[in-house]
Amino acid sequence: MDPGLYIAASGMLAEQVRQNQLSNDLSNSSTPGYKVDHAEQQSFGSLLLSNTATGQQIGTLNTGVKIAKIVTDMTPETLQQTGQPLDFGIQGTGFFAVRTPNGVRYTRDGQFMSNAQGRLVDSQGNEVLSQNGAPIAVSPNGTVAASALGVFNVPNAAKQGENLYTGTAAGRDTGVVRQGELEQSGVDPVRTMTDMISSLRSYETGQNAINAISETMQQGAQQVGSIGGG
Amino acid sequence: MLQGLYAAASGMQAQQNQLDAVANDLANVDTTGYQGEIIGFQDLLYTQGGNSTGTNVATGAGSASGIIGRSSEQGSIQQTGRSLDVAIQGPGYFEVRRPDGTIGLTRNGALQTNAKGQLTNGQGMLVQPPITIPPGTDPSNVTIQGNGNVVVNGKTLGQIKLVTVPAPNGLVADGDSIFSATAASGAIRTATGSTLQQNALEGSNVDMGRAMSQMMTAERSYQMSSNAVQYQDQMLQIANQIKA
Repeated sequence: MDPGLYIAASGMLAEQVRQNQLSNDLSNSSTPGYKVDHAEQQSFGSLLLSNTATGQQIGTLNTGVKIAKIVTDMTPETLQQTGQPLDFGIQGTGFFAVRTPNGVRYTRDGQFMSNAQGRLVDSQGNEVLSQNGAPIAVSPNGTVAASALGVFNVPNAAKQGENLYTGTAAGRDTGVVRQGELEQSGVDPVRTMTDMISSLRSYETGQNAINAISETMQQGAQQVGSIGGG
Repeated sequence: MLQGLYAAASGMQAQQNQLDAVANDLANVDTTGYQGEIIGFQDLLYTQGGNSTGTNVATGAGSASGIIGRSSEQGSIQQTGRSLDVAIQGPGYFEVRRPDGTIGLTRNGALQTNAKGQLTNGQGMLVQPPITIPPGTDPSNVTIQGNGNVVVNGKTLGQIKLVTVPAPNGLVADGDSIFSATAASGAIRTATGSTLQQNALEGSNVDMGRAMSQMMTAERSYQMSSNAVQYQDQMLQIANQIKA
């Protein structure tokens, strides 16, 4: 069977993953502290072709492409003033820590609030932690000093959803907590839209390649064997 | 295959919530004591890609949003010159008793007196603790001090209490600018550090400029997510056109 068919198909599958990832980015253009993903493509191992009669080497044949990994771009984004006393943003690098039922998770989304016990929680009700891992009390007039919040360095942060990251904290990070501000989403709508169009066209190209190979095979099957050139 | 289609559609839904909230805010731009709604956005679960991808490839399922609370910003104080209009400067609520006996919280300080001379809010609910102004008193002789003391002719009749809850985002809005405490908001307690201003009302804390720009951002983001849905659709179409 013609390997070209599968090579072209692998390209289409990779573009499909890229398109899904871009859709997710675009969908999160308003999510505070959201970090964009980049899909990294990688070629499959190549085959060494050789002449079956003589054993002479002909050269290599690439066998297609796959998305090797998705890398999250952790670049800090600009902070936007919201005027809400319990909104916090980290200027620079680092994460806030929250205690979830499944353990400590990290987030850059500082849209916090007070719970019924007067403690600082995130929008899912998880307690926000100070640098030494203790819950933070909201003062009776509804404020919390920016210095009360912990900023953690999480080198292996991986997205989990609900604006949370899993990972292991390695001490304090250099970021500075700012009150009354939220970090904007890292999504650049123009770039994401352009990437989507480019990905769509690459996908289309893959389809054209499949159709061309398919046509070649059809011709081979119908015309090569016919006497008088069909 | 269809995951991206739904991820894009979820973005449209999330922006729709933002538009709904902004529309409600804009409709209440002149409502006394109204507090703007705050929408929180979040991303959704990340799942590993199919077998055509590496092990570190997780794509997200889009975004979601919901009302997570109300803006605690101070609304602008508007002078009305009416002696029974009081505005709260700082956090806190007036406490009123509904006809069914339950307690409601409101920042709308357009007070009145009922037939018995009792101080009520605009809907006739009694201000707590009850304060009776002697019948026949000229309303212009009523002085409401910064600490809530109601004074008529040099005599203190009672004190308007300001209360708050540990988690204002847990309050349930009952309409008519009145809120109820719930288990999520915590128990009602006395508010500290706030003062009352007589002859004035607190306007809505909705910032028109910010609301308009929020609306435009939401509209454009909605449009872009809708484009993403179309791209996904086109890809499916392209896949369908592969000739056998």
